[in-house]
Amino acid sequence: MKPAGKTLALLLVAAALVTLPWWSGDQYKLHLAALICAYWVLIGGLNLVVGYSGQLSIGHVGLLSIGAYCFTILAGTHGIHPGIAIVAAGGLCALCGFLLGLPSLRLPGFYFAMATLAFALIVAEITLAQTALTGGGVGLAVPGFPEPFDTPAGTYWLILAIAALVTWLTWNVARHTWGRGLVAVRDSAVTAQAVGVPVFRAKLTVFVFSGFTAGVAGALFAVLQSYITPDTFVFDLGLFFFVCIIIGGRGHIIGPMVGTIVLTALPEMVAPLAKLGNFFYGLLLLAVVLLVPEGIGRVFELLMQRLRPRRVESHVVKPDLERLARAIAKGKAAG
Amino acid sequence: MLVALITGLATGALYAAAALTYNVMFSTSKVLSVTTGHISMLGGIFGAWFLSTLGWPIPFALLGSMFVGALFGLLTDFIAIRRVLARSDEHLWLLSTLALATMVQQAAGLWWGTEPKPFPRLIPQDFSAGLGDQKYWLPIAIAILLAVALELFYRRTLYGKLFVAMSEDAFAARARGIPTDRIRSMSYVIAGAMGGLAGFAAGQLTFAYFALGLTLTLNGFIALAVGGLGSNVGALVGGAALGILSAVATYFVGGEYQQTISVGLLMIVLLVKPAGLFGSQSVRPV
Repeated sequence: MKPAGKTLALLLVAAALVTLPWWSGDQYKLHLAALICAYWVLIGGLNLVVGYSGQLSIGHVGLLSIGAYCFTILAGTHGIHPGIAIVAAGGLCALCGFLLGLPSLRLPGFYFAMATLAFALIVAEITLAQTALTGGGVGLAVPGFPEPFDTPAGTYWLILAIAALVTWLTWNVARHTWGRGLVAVRDSAVTAQAVGVPVFRAKLTVFVFSGFTAGVAGALFAVLQSYITPDTFVFDLGLFFFVCIIIGGRGHIIGPMVGTIVLTALPEMVAPLAKLGNFFYGLLLLAVVLLVPEGIGRVFELLMQRLRPRRVESHVVKPDLERLARAIAKGKAAG
Repeated sequence: MLVALITGLATGALYAAAALTYNVMFSTSKVLSVTTGHISMLGGIFGAWFLSTLGWPIPFALLGSMFVGALFGLLTDFIAIRRVLARSDEHLWLLSTLALATMVQQAAGLWWGTEPKPFPRLIPQDFSAGLGDQKYWLPIAIAILLAVALELFYRRTLYGKLFVAMSEDAFAARARGIPTDRIRSMSYVIAGAMGGLAGFAAGQLTFAYFALGLTLTLNGFIALAVGGLGSNVGALVGGAALGILSAVATYFVGGEYQQTISVGLLMIVLLVKPAGLFGSQSVRPV
């Protein structure tokens, strides 16, 4: 696609997203769109960890949970302004990400995945046990956003804006030196180290960043849920985030975004899939890993190449015989 | 206190059995399969189904559970391992086994129901037996039996020696004419049968519960990492240590922080001795 066409398409999509509250029809679809955006805030950050630097974190739901509880406790129980509470939730989760990443990012692949899984289970345990703080199994009611954002459309716009901001941030990280360095870490840590990428620092930095976005996403998610219990943050949700990225394709931003939209919306639209739930996600993940490990995005790339083959430019060489004859004659005359 | 210790030891024995299952699969394929705990989960669920619903006699149900486990092991190798190992990307097996584990867990939940169901008595015994109850000593006996049988298998039989050869160097083993693919499938079948047996034996302790798999995958892995990857003695010691530690911690602190404490143990061991207590350090990044 030409740059102008790309800009046009981007503008069209942006206009469609911003005007969604007027044409979506019912409140439920709007809620779904807001939910997708909230998920994307987390997945966009997680994408840098899983998709770019190749650290397979399956336990980000723990950070989401911490963010949601932090927001609810600050804004609900203590009556702090929700805007400050969102930032505080992000900050707390960045700190948790730092503390989790410090020991676990040094571990090899499977160990790291298990450490994040354990982290998610620990958070679930603690939120259930600390009854005084989190309400235990009973849960907490989540306050809404203040004045301009208190309608469903207002909430949607706020979440959309944050999602757009996160997309812009991750895009900036991904296309510059950092992103290249992360891809190098993913593909070969030893080589990356040899050419001067600070491997551990790079991994830790994006992990902390993903912790921040997870915390913000947790706050937004809590507002959309309007009531949270430890059961809201089941481990399967963490798996869902992870599957979205792997299915969309590692090392892209568009792929995981499409993955998030499709995987969130599909079970809502097609009822039998919702019943199958995790089985469907597992099947999809297995199919992608076995057939196209690069993700669905790669399939589209291949299809595009197949549909629009590169124009073969013809370079037929026509000998200019007359000129050749003249040159020979000239040579003969000179010789 | 004694009850806590015995419960811990029994749970630890189950973790040790899961760690042994990890070891068998790891020896031939260098893959730590996420499905490890789910094998035992299937063993428990199918054992309860064979015994209660179908009314099979106990030996048949035991064999049936082991068969289901072995079949699942073979399926794991066919679906999730074989194709993925042929590619160079080293983390793909984690994704494929994770996908398979998720599918199996959800399928078991849909079929069996999400509530834990009781596992019938295997040996006629009074429920007032207290500490001598079979639900405690059956898993312990099975874990020790599995470890001893594995050691004998590795040391005394030709196939065991093939396993050891493959775990040392798969390429060299292939060059010496060992059919590595077939040996790997065999190791997955054996691991499946072991996991099925362990799940069957521990059924009265854990109940037939569909979500057991993930817990067992994690705790078996912790036992393995604490004891040292590849070591069978380490698996037993790690499992027992983990089980007793979390039981004692539950006794003193309360049951809410079990997971936190077991992961704390893992982190301390990994920081102090990254190869585990009985593991051999062989890190070669380049």
